[in-house]
Amino acid sequence: MNLWSFFWQKIYEINWLLPALIYVLGFIGVAMIYAATDGVWHHGAQQHLIRLILAGGLMLIVALIDIRFWYHLAYPIYAGALALLAGVHYFGVVKNGSRRWLDLGITDIQPSEIMKLAIVLALARYYHDLDRDRVSHVFGLLGALVLIAMPAQFILQQPDLGTTLLLTMTALAMVFLAGINWRVIVAGITTAAVAVPLFVRFGLQEYQRKRIMTFFDPSIDPTGAGYHITQSKIALGSGGVSGKGFMQGTQRQLEYVPENRTDFIFTVIGEEFGLVGGLITMLLYMMLIGICIWMALQCRHKFSQLLILGLTSTFALYVFINLAMVMGLAPVVGVPLPLISYGGTVILTVMTGFGLMLSAHLYMQSELPRGGR
Amino acid sequence: MIDGNDNISLSRRTLILSGAGIGIFGILSTRLYQLQVLRSEDYTALSENNRFNYNIIVPSRGRILDRSGNVLALNRQDYRVELIAEQVTDINLTLDKIAEVVVLSDPTRERIKKDVKKHAKFVPVLVEDHLSWEAFSALNIRAPEIPGVVPKVGEGRSYPYNGIFCHVLGEVGKAKPVDIENDKDPLLRQPTFRIGQSGVEKGAEPRLRGKAGRLKVEVNAVGRIVREWPEANNRSKAGEDVYLTIDAPLQEHAAEQFGEDSGGTVVIDVHTGEVRTLLSMPYYDGNRMVSGISREELALMNSDPKTPFNNKAVRGVYPPASTFKMTVMLAALETGQVNPKERVICTGHTKVGNKKFHCWRRRGHGPVDLMQSLQYSCDVYYYEMAHRIGIDTVHDVAIRLGLGQSYDLGIQTRASGLIPNREWKQKNRRDGWRLGDSLNAFIGQGYVLSTPLQLAVMTARLANGKKAIRPHVIIDENIPEFADMNFDPAHLDIVRESMRQVCMVPGGTAYRDFPLGPSGVDMAGKTGTGQVTGISASERATGVIRNQDKEWRFRDHSIFVGYAPFEAPRFAVGTIVEHGGSGSGRAADISRSILQKSLELDGLIVPRPVDEPAGGTL
Repeated sequence: MNLWSFFWQKIYEINWLLPALIYVLGFIGVAMIYAATDGVWHHGAQQHLIRLILAGGLMLIVALIDIRFWYHLAYPIYAGALALLAGVHYFGVVKNGSRRWLDLGITDIQPSEIMKLAIVLALARYYHDLDRDRVSHVFGLLGALVLIAMPAQFILQQPDLGTTLLLTMTALAMVFLAGINWRVIVAGITTAAVAVPLFVRFGLQEYQRKRIMTFFDPSIDPTGAGYHITQSKIALGSGGVSGKGFMQGTQRQLEYVPENRTDFIFTVIGEEFGLVGGLITMLLYMMLIGICIWMALQCRHKFSQLLILGLTSTFALYVFINLAMVMGLAPVVGVPLPLISYGGTVILTVMTGFGLMLSAHLYMQSELPRGGR
Repeated sequence: MIDGNDNISLSRRTLILSGAGIGIFGILSTRLYQLQVLRSEDYTALSENNRFNYNIIVPSRGRILDRSGNVLALNRQDYRVELIAEQVTDINLTLDKIAEVVVLSDPTRERIKKDVKKHAKFVPVLVEDHLSWEAFSALNIRAPEIPGVVPKVGEGRSYPYNGIFCHVLGEVGKAKPVDIENDKDPLLRQPTFRIGQSGVEKGAEPRLRGKAGRLKVEVNAVGRIVREWPEANNRSKAGEDVYLTIDAPLQEHAAEQFGEDSGGTVVIDVHTGEVRTLLSMPYYDGNRMVSGISREELALMNSDPKTPFNNKAVRGVYPPASTFKMTVMLAALETGQVNPKERVICTGHTKVGNKKFHCWRRRGHGPVDLMQSLQYSCDVYYYEMAHRIGIDTVHDVAIRLGLGQSYDLGIQTRASGLIPNREWKQKNRRDGWRLGDSLNAFIGQGYVLSTPLQLAVMTARLANGKKAIRPHVIIDENIPEFADMNFDPAHLDIVRESMRQVCMVPGGTAYRDFPLGPSGVDMAGKTGTGQVTGISASERATGVIRNQDKEWRFRDHSIFVGYAPFEAPRFAVGTIVEHGGSGSGRAADISRSILQKSLELDGLIVPRPVDEPAGGTL
């Protein structure tokens, strides 16, 4: 079998339902960015479309590479991402008050984005190799904790609360899925109940704390930090059941909702297509997540399963945090709505992630080194 | 390989997480339902009420300064009181309370109420401006008790020099509907903004105005500002200062010379066309115009026979009278129809058909050559010229000298006067040109009309002899190349020497017992006496022809043009004193004094010691 016919065969075997749904959401994004920018095609909609297509190519390439390759590269990728994070910490470029970017001369990169994928790869590999009996053992826990804590503290110090949360929660979901003992879970939750308030008090930057405080009571500062939440609620609320119609939103016309083509894009959907549009969008996300889970359950190897489920968790968390934030159920932490929000980095991350999932599913028959029992 | 148990455990846990995910989606959907359905009405109302406004920041208007930086127009602090209607419950009661401190006339009250109706409830409406410091501080103390009353310090236009520049500067005022229609600058719709209405204020409006700043503000349902959005690139930009060619001390001096008289004078740099003085008398106080003037006062000024609002220097058209004779002289020399040595016998009058044309000197000048004709201002000599050369030739020379055309000084006022020719008469009088028309025109009467500005331009062009200078009042770094007038220098020398003799040689109409002229230098000039009414035969018979016996409005205009120094011309002046009598009198004295002062100010001559008589007191 020559290489070409092999690849054609593989392309044929790809679970095309997933890319199809991805592009449905992506095109909704193009339309909504177009509306959010008052119908100026080149103020984001065009770029979004181009990025979707280019990232789609990347997804395909990643998907066609055998899962064994990714398995072997899991730790090196993680190590590389960690090194880059350390690099950011010491040599990073400060943008908007946060040190998140690394200037590579040609282009700026955001290592925390790479880490979102790398942590999943690393933990999947870790639990694939680890005996099931040892998952809840002190050393088993400690290994996972080190893997999670090292990148998390770098990202938190950037400071980027949103990404830290995303990363940590994804990792915890994977630890849970790996079969951690319920007693450890209860103990963990108890510790968290004590630690989180302390962390909020001492571990957060002033603006981050303020964001959280105003989240609990937006009326404290209706024109300051609570502004985003109030305005996005007004935009959604004024949309009603069926919305004001495409390009008819008044709040976004008045530039009321800030960042409405990026993190707050859902307000445009809600204002212009109402509850119906919002629910349909959410349904599409549920379907997408459902397909991913279904793909995971079809896999034979723990690495593949955990990889898909971990990446799915990241994606789902993106969606949950963003929607909760826009609807005033969570603080404004700067998490975009994946595939719909304008922004190149998140598309790249998410599409690479989907590529990995497709690869894991496509090569489910590949023999991975025997892992732990 | 994954063993069975492990796989079941993972599937189970996946199911748990999926359940949690579905739960979250459920919560989010519920929340969306709550926002978009249950509370939709509240938010819809909020969405309509929450709006952005752009508050316009009015920039400081540029100042207007004279050539050496004396400030002619500036902004000073202006105390005013404004009213915000939304905070007022009973407007009459509020106005009554304000009236305890500030006098509010009934028309003012009406205007305030009208303005309140016209604007949105949160827009501040001007109650009264130009408050005294006492009234303003009293209001400041009371303001907290009177809701909606806002004492404010703004900027108002102010003109020092109490009005002598009013005709040059013009003034500012509220934008008129037609301005707003033609100019889309949002500033024009600001209640506190003032736009140039006339003069330099209007002509240099684009430079003076500056650029509006924008302050993005978020306002709630009642229009109150909830938040300001400072945007650095939206600061207002102050208007440019505009420098004039005018010399303020010279203009002051000129105004002093006029005293109570009515008229206009213009002083021009003969080489550049810079207008050093542009004065129209009497003047009015531009500050009064800006701060509001009562209807009665305005009516009084409008009915003043000395027409203070009329810019006589630019728009006042008068017969140039004998000051037109240089033009005729040049025309005659150009055509070669006259030998400068040739003498014409003046008997005091000339007859054309059975109509007598008189010389101003009834007993005549006797034999007069070309140069003497100007020195003595012999009319008969020019009647003779009317027989020799046509009006069209004179018209051509007059135009080349700058008469009969208007100049854009950048002060929004112009007048072209009139230099007639055959074509003009045919077109406007439906009649052919007659010899009698020429006789009148050649002594600067009849159809010929000019302004003090044109006379000054003519004199400046004669003085420099080459450049067809054009006057301007706003300083311009690059003075354009002026066209060549193409006069024979020899002819110009004759004209200028004749003009010198008018002033410096006994017998000259401006020479009395002493030469007219600034100390130490010669000046050249020409007098003119513009007839307002013809002298009727009955008046001639009864002898009531003396000017000072006539009613003021029928007296002759006193006209003078001149330049100095004769050897190296620097400044030219054109002066008309309305009903001032003979040109050798008021206009000549004023002009000489202005030229003296202009040369002093430019350091060309040393000021005369005060105790030395200034060449007589005529």
